[in-house]
Amino acid sequence: MSVVQHEEEEDIDLPTVGAAVAGRRRRPWLGLALQIAVILLAGGVWWLASTLLPVGTMPSPAETFARLGALALTPEFWIAVGITVATFLAGLIICILIGIPLGLAIGASTFATQSTRLVFDFLRTIPPIAILPLLLLLLGAQFQMVLVLVIGGAIWPILIQSIYAARQGEALLVDVARTFKVPRRWFIRHIFLPGALPFIMTGLRVGTTICLLLTITGELLGGAPGIGFEIADAMAFYDNSRMYAYVLVSAFLGLLVNGAFWAAQRRMLHWHPSIRREGTR
Amino acid sequence: MRVSNSLKMIALEIWLPILIVVVWWFASANSTSLYFPPLQAILESFAENWLDPQEAIQNLAPSLLLLGSGYLLALVGGVVLGTLFGIVTPIEHATRPVLETLRAVPGVALLPIFIVLFGIDAQMKILLIAFGSFWPIFLNTIDGVRAVEPLLLDVSRVFRVGRARRLFRIVLPSAGPQIFAGARTALAIALIIMVVAETVGGSGGIGYFLLDAQRNFAITAMWGAILALGILGYVLNIFFRIIERRVLRWHRLQQARLETAK
Repeated sequence: MSVVQHEEEEDIDLPTVGAAVAGRRRRPWLGLALQIAVILLAGGVWWLASTLLPVGTMPSPAETFARLGALALTPEFWIAVGITVATFLAGLIICILIGIPLGLAIGASTFATQSTRLVFDFLRTIPPIAILPLLLLLLGAQFQMVLVLVIGGAIWPILIQSIYAARQGEALLVDVARTFKVPRRWFIRHIFLPGALPFIMTGLRVGTTICLLLTITGELLGGAPGIGFEIADAMAFYDNSRMYAYVLVSAFLGLLVNGAFWAAQRRMLHWHPSIRREGTR
Repeated sequence: MRVSNSLKMIALEIWLPILIVVVWWFASANSTSLYFPPLQAILESFAENWLDPQEAIQNLAPSLLLLGSGYLLALVGGVVLGTLFGIVTPIEHATRPVLETLRAVPGVALLPIFIVLFGIDAQMKILLIAFGSFWPIFLNTIDGVRAVEPLLLDVSRVFRVGRARRLFRIVLPSAGPQIFAGARTALAIALIIMVVAETVGGSGGIGYFLLDAQRNFAITAMWGAILALGILGYVLNIFFRIIERRVLRWHRLQQARLETAK
């Protein structure tokens, strides 16, 4: 709590805030050094845990990274990564291509929105993993099975947020546009889409997370080729360093996906307060 | 007038679901396909395994216990830490790379690691659910706390509003909608991880039931379990929405005021 107070005390006086910001700008290396220190600390905790736990439960960071390096030289590694990435991307793109236009179209009509609400609400809340056994029996342990699973799970947040987005026109803006007899295309381009975009992006953010989670899950539980399968396989052989190496790879994939998403969001929503504020700091 | 209006609303909302069920019922009535049994058979299996009190308790109680404990842990941890990190930007800044990496790990990929570390008991499953559903709540709380309208904070500063008061009266309420958005995502993720975690070790629960049905090629029972999971998810979501409406009542009122202002 004392830390909180300190921060807020700094914030109370406006000139102090200015000084703090200027101070940070003069010493950007301080922030970076702190980040690196925390990374090293996390590595240290991992190393410590690996030495304290019974042998065979947790490989040390060095062991894991060495194994990762060795794996990266094998073609099997890149095939597994390639299949996972391709399944993830294909699933996400199909979800976007179906979810956003369909959602905006449904949202534009009150009748369609109300008629479909219960159905989508119900379908959305079924944990997609529930249909995995059925998909396994129907499609086998193949990437197509994972793809269907991914689409079945990740399309709902995108679709539902798009419906919501289409209905979310700020009343005042709509009225002003009507008063000034703004042309329809200009209205869509400059008022409707910018207003809808933050909501669509929220859906995409959730959808992207679920997409990757389900890709790995489908492979891990369904035994379809990819990173998930490699993790399950390593576990079956009690090959801990390989297991950790592949979990690291999945984390790296997640980082990459999140990073790409944030970059896209910053570009598209640079005017939004949540991002604007980050930029001015 | 009012009654007929609300009747119209209800009719508008339920005609499509009813149509779908009716079409499903008649289209599958004479189905001999192994994978797509008649809806009637699915409903019978559903009633047998999920409506009979004894069976329902055996199949549902372990799942709900895991889900409840894990989700609650994530909720408390996520909001408390998220608020702290949202306010104290230096901490957030310094830990960002590590947090982003941890957050990026798909929860299910940690299942094998958690098994090795914590065994296959309920404790492991609760921790896995908590870990997986922690991130959306935590990160949304940070974002929400940071996205408080700058003007509001400036005004409160000018009027010298105390720190605790500012936290509970301005920061948390205005971050509320975003925290709830995160909590909703977390609920969906918690359900997925719950089912996955339950396929490990044999302690009952929906996930175990599904796995068992799959192993025995009991397709009808599997469909029944899918239906049960859907209903469980739906009911949980309704509970969630009721709580959200209560807590964010001011937000809804404000929106309504903006609407009527036009």
